[in-house]
Amino acid sequence: MSAVTPDARKASATAPTFDLARTRGNGLSDTIRTFIVSVRLGWQLEANWTDPFLFFIYSVAKPVSSALILVVMLEVIGGPAGRSFRPFVVVGSALWAFVISGVAGLAWAILEDRERYRVLKYVYVSPSDFLTVLVGRGVARIAVGLAGVVITLVVGVVALGVPFDVAVVDWPLLVASSLLGLGTIIALGLLMAGVCIQTRQESWSYPEAFAGALFLVTGAVFPLLVLPAPVQLVGLLTPLTWWIAGIREALFPGGPDSIGGSGSLFETLFGPGSPTGGEIVLALLATGAIATLAALAIFRLSDRRAKRAGLYDRTTGS
Amino acid sequence: MAAGSMNLVGRAGAGPREAAAWSRRQVLLTDLRSVRGRAYPRVRGLTREPSWLLFEILLPFLGTSAFVFVYRALEAPQEYVGFVVLGGALTAFWLNVIWMMANQLYWEKAQGNLELYFAAPMHFMSILFGMAVGGMAMSTTRAATVLVIAGTLYGVTFTVDQWLLLVGVFVLTLGALYGLGMVLASLFLVWGREAWHMGQLLTEPVYFVSGLNFPVARLGMLGALSVAFLPLATGLDAMRQLAFADAAFPAGTPPPLVEVAILVVMTVVSIVAARAMLIAMERRARRDGRLSVRWQ
Repeated sequence: MSAVTPDARKASATAPTFDLARTRGNGLSDTIRTFIVSVRLGWQLEANWTDPFLFFIYSVAKPVSSALILVVMLEVIGGPAGRSFRPFVVVGSALWAFVISGVAGLAWAILEDRERYRVLKYVYVSPSDFLTVLVGRGVARIAVGLAGVVITLVVGVVALGVPFDVAVVDWPLLVASSLLGLGTIIALGLLMAGVCIQTRQESWSYPEAFAGALFLVTGAVFPLLVLPAPVQLVGLLTPLTWWIAGIREALFPGGPDSIGGSGSLFETLFGPGSPTGGEIVLALLATGAIATLAALAIFRLSDRRAKRAGLYDRTTGS
Repeated sequence: MAAGSMNLVGRAGAGPREAAAWSRRQVLLTDLRSVRGRAYPRVRGLTREPSWLLFEILLPFLGTSAFVFVYRALEAPQEYVGFVVLGGALTAFWLNVIWMMANQLYWEKAQGNLELYFAAPMHFMSILFGMAVGGMAMSTTRAATVLVIAGTLYGVTFTVDQWLLLVGVFVLTLGALYGLGMVLASLFLVWGREAWHMGQLLTEPVYFVSGLNFPVARLGMLGALSVAFLPLATGLDAMRQLAFADAAFPAGTPPPLVEVAILVVMTVVSIVAARAMLIAMERRARRDGRLSVRWQ
């Protein structure tokens, strides 16, 4: 061993020591800052490719077109008699655009950072909480989706003759359904993000495929009772079914219902009639809580496996 | 094989200027090999990457099923279910044109392949044509599967009187669709995310104006414009008229033979336009240095 020189000893004594406490961060304030930066980054990625006007048109064209397809289908078959069904399909298709935005938002954040920009591994090892970054990135797309919902509903009321009366809106049901539904959609997005961390080819299609499967069982644009009973059961266990039913019932009380009705599984299980607002919120709370817990567990498992297998460091070319 | 390749590019004993002066035969052979080379991964991918079975068939099938159930909830006549199934099958081609023709160059640019295409000694149209041939093979398999599964499951009966015309309409529709795909692909030589988002925009709005789930004649003037300018609308309407010959079809669109003529014009115009666009966009992309710009 060589002797330590006086100069080296002096330098060692004056050098700043590594403060372990700094690795723990500043708790909530750091989380909030991370979240805000992630939301801002997500928004820039979503929106800064064009000017605000074009972006607005881009954001609303898809949900409005989806609603128009269904409205024309109603008109073709039902004629004037089918117009009572318009609020049903306009609300359902508007909300579904929001579901796709939410579910795809978090999963695509993973895929964009891993495959397109190739920064996922750097984001992951940064001091920010990865889950917070991910949710923040997803929020931007959810915001775009929310704008699409509002505009589609406005187009429905103004241009498509959907009879909307603000005085009859059930505000408590609307607020409760919206908040619980938003949480559920973020949870489903997290679930898909957990799946996409593990997968390679076709990963970009997974969120849409998942949303497409849910579209069939949630009564978004047709009542559940036209489906076979086992599929109706899957629908009743899906939180999005109750979320859509809650928003629909809140905005258009007493309108056509997607869950109950003569011959439906709901009627077989719980008796005639449709679920009340309170029942809808309770069912949404229960199914949403289960879905959220399952999504968190799956994401954590996926995260652990990805770290062990080096998946964050991989670019698959998908 | 190696000797053949050397002979093909004509390098033996020649200087660079002589080596670059290819005969027409050499140019044609190289372009044909480029077509085959670009189509190859898509055709081989059908058997080598079975995950497409789940997502490329499941996605259109789920979307189709949802609209079938809408019609069932409305107690619509059975031929409307057939309209939806046929439209659902054709979405495979439209999605292929948008994502694997137009947007493909966005991915190629991001992965660094685009500049290699331009550095290689072949015409860029042959790359696009190879992509189209491979894409048609992929999408035909997918569309046929969706058509068979959904048609069987939902009890769709096709009534075809003129098979030959139906096949002709189908082929012409593909020609016009993939020609349009080449035009859209040229945009990616210059633009990046803007064109990618435009691809996103060309799904639901195009489904609506093409009358994917209902007779396009119900859209009035908008439907007429779609039939005149959108190959998906024209081809779908003609195929519906031919595949459901005895259906009580709403009048308002031209008969199939007229739509065949429209499709021929669309095919020719789109291929000529694609060639012109490629030249113009390549010049602009070279001038602005955008051929190799990624992530923008």
